[in-house]
Amino acid sequence: MSNTETQAQAPSPPTLSAGKTTLDIALRVGGLFLAIIVVAAVFIIIKPNVANLNMGGSVLRSMSSVAIMALGLTLVIVVGEIDLSFGAIYGLAINALAVMWIVHGVSVYLAIPLAVALGALVGVFNGVLVTRLKIPSFIVTLGTYNLLYGVTLWVSNTGTFNPAYPPPDRTVPDSELNFFVSLTRPVGSFHLSLEVVWMIVIAIIVGLLLHRSLFGFRLMAIGGNPEAARLARLPVTGYKIAAFVLCAVLASIAGVLDFSFIQTSQPNTGLSSTFPVFAAVIIGGASLTGGKGTVIGTLGGALLLAELQLGLSILSPGPHVQQIFLGAVTIGAVALDMFLTRLRKSRSS
Amino acid sequence: MSGAGITLRGVSKRYGSTIALDGVDLDIRPGEVLGIAGPNGAGKSTLVRIIAGEERPDSGDLTFDGRPWSPATDWHAVAVVHQEPQLFPNLTVAENVMVGREGGGSGKPRLGAADAKVMDALGIGHLRGRLLADCSLATQQRTEIARAVAREAQVFLFDEPNSALTADESDELFREIHAIAAGGRIVLLVTHRLGDLVEYCKRVAIVRDGKVRTVLSGAALTEEAIARQLVTDVTAVSAAANTRAAASGHAATGALFSVRDWSHPKAFRGISMQGRAGEIIALMGVEGSGSRELIRSFAGLERCTGIMEIEGDRTAASLQKRTAYVPATRLLSLYSNFSVGENLLVRLGYPDIAGFGMALKVRKMRDMAQSAVKRFLIKTRTATQGIRSLSGGNQQKVAIAQALHCAPKLLLLEEPTRGVDIHSKAEIYRLLRDYADAGHTVIIFCTEVLEVYEAADIAYVVVGGALTRPLKVADYDHVETLATDITQLEQERRKEPKAA
Repeated sequence: MSNTETQAQAPSPPTLSAGKTTLDIALRVGGLFLAIIVVAAVFIIIKPNVANLNMGGSVLRSMSSVAIMALGLTLVIVVGEIDLSFGAIYGLAINALAVMWIVHGVSVYLAIPLAVALGALVGVFNGVLVTRLKIPSFIVTLGTYNLLYGVTLWVSNTGTFNPAYPPPDRTVPDSELNFFVSLTRPVGSFHLSLEVVWMIVIAIIVGLLLHRSLFGFRLMAIGGNPEAARLARLPVTGYKIAAFVLCAVLASIAGVLDFSFIQTSQPNTGLSSTFPVFAAVIIGGASLTGGKGTVIGTLGGALLLAELQLGLSILSPGPHVQQIFLGAVTIGAVALDMFLTRLRKSRSS
Repeated sequence: MSGAGITLRGVSKRYGSTIALDGVDLDIRPGEVLGIAGPNGAGKSTLVRIIAGEERPDSGDLTFDGRPWSPATDWHAVAVVHQEPQLFPNLTVAENVMVGREGGGSGKPRLGAADAKVMDALGIGHLRGRLLADCSLATQQRTEIARAVAREAQVFLFDEPNSALTADESDELFREIHAIAAGGRIVLLVTHRLGDLVEYCKRVAIVRDGKVRTVLSGAALTEEAIARQLVTDVTAVSAAANTRAAASGHAATGALFSVRDWSHPKAFRGISMQGRAGEIIALMGVEGSGSRELIRSFAGLERCTGIMEIEGDRTAASLQKRTAYVPATRLLSLYSNFSVGENLLVRLGYPDIAGFGMALKVRKMRDMAQSAVKRFLIKTRTATQGIRSLSGGNQQKVAIAQALHCAPKLLLLEEPTRGVDIHSKAEIYRLLRDYADAGHTVIIFCTEVLEVYEAADIAYVVVGGALTRPLKVADYDHVETLATDITQLEQERRKEPKAA
């Protein structure tokens, strides 16, 4: 009987060591966190007085908006698409909020959801163009990036806004200003910004979504083999649009939080965050071919970048060094990852 | 031992703890076609990769015309012709032949006289200016051969070269293969088709469990002999045919599935057919006949007009829930970023693998994956290992199991055993038979009559977008008579539309 023979041939009864993939991720993330520790150690050796909790808090604060955007980008990259427009969405959210609230006197409690909704709308626009008109996402979002920057210049009239110093003929109610500033107020004895808490909450939500929900499971499947997913009648179109919308919403939220922290809007804000955010996602182990990416990796990538940036600005050898490091770390991290993957494969097989 | 040709002595290769090749001895002589056969996972592909220079052996010696030889460094001596040509679709046929040997000039390279001669000899000279992407698969393969001949390759390795060709095209291909061998070159043919091995090879080496078990030649080289060497128990192959005989009495119930006046904008028109629970229906038809579109249309993947009904239901949404489709190639059904277990469950959703708030039922998924591995006889160490670590036959079982998990009333499969070894083939036929017996209808699109004979109850041929009358497979005692009838039906119908 063929059945019994097959089972006899099987090397061992199929036991499921859920540990294998977990170990895989742990190794990958472990390497990243090792790098984070090594970099921190190097800075501390060079300049021992950076080793304090306030500095740690600053690193976490400065990584938070990059991390929030990177989490959204991770979803888009996992589903096998690219989004170049989140930085422009971030800037649009800030400027739209500033103009609605400070110039037109819309209550901040309404203006914030409106700014985020505007971001979501851009996400729908990106998603629909990519899925329905089948325009490559690189091109669509490159277009939206420029388009939104134009809209931002127009809406803000190329001006800068600060709710604490509104234009001469406008007033911002104190209660609204206090609420807005308190969104990222320092809490606890180490004056950790509330923005860090927002980042952690968002990371947990995105983590559950990506790694513990049907949504994330299918996102991974679609990113891994979009044609197979279509033939298996998985909801490819809807999920891709959802990924773009979530990315846009998270970019808008990051904008609102950063505005609350910095309190000054500029028309070109956010545009320069495009490549650092990409770098964080890629350093975190996501694959541009889709189907691969983790929340913990992306957070690690953002942390490593923030640490490098802050550390280097304290050592202040000049802005060129920061840029050079950003480039080197991006390539180095991916090279290291590929090397480790090959090592793991040759060992396990 | 020296002599003309390639000699392998004690060639071994291991991947981690798995021994892929365990001391292979083989002589490959110039001027003959040597067939290589073996079940998947037996080391056949590793052997081929070593000869092709894509892998280096751990130990053992290779010699070429008596001299030590390493195909990994002498790679340009070896040409591999794959079933899917590895060429440049954006270049013309002639450019494909030239690429890599353009010479040192800075201008645009021109086609040399020698290259032109090679292309003419292969019958693709008149197509030299055409874009490769616009050429048929047969032409693309010829281009690949021409490319190898032009760079004076000495060793030709054909890997399932005719699996996607029509009968005529593959006859011609084999004529070319013989011409190459007659020119004193070394030719290897790897295929699952036993008939081709017997007809076109002088000797056939059987690889099993990492060794060359035997080399068949002369009178000993028959399909039966190869089949017996490939599987330890030949009965597994004919088991499927026997169960069909037993089951054919079972189909007395009414139609489970039916289509009426089913039409596609391009591929087919006015098709009516039905299927009962317990039936396996085979669709046959050459490329372009509309048969592939027909089977896809049943899965709701093609826009069609007409009425389709499953158990009285006609709405698109509920039809989709009652059907599941398995594409012809595993590239279109498996997710390489997923484990075996995830691949098995990927088509499921709420409430099977996810509960409230779309939260995945992780423990349930683990149990389901484990039991699916057992139920579908998938040979894997764990359900968490990567899907690519499985052999082709086992990957195919995963692809089919994926669809079976949706518990479709109507299961649709395109070429369910393409590129699968005999043993897995028998297991897949059994899976399909069991599924039909459980009260479902199964429709398979086949390219080989043997598959129809072994797996199906009823066969339809699609010719020029229309169905021929159904053939009852149980009425045939021999596969040959079934093949004759199918060919006849195909020709009868083909004449009609041409006359009109």
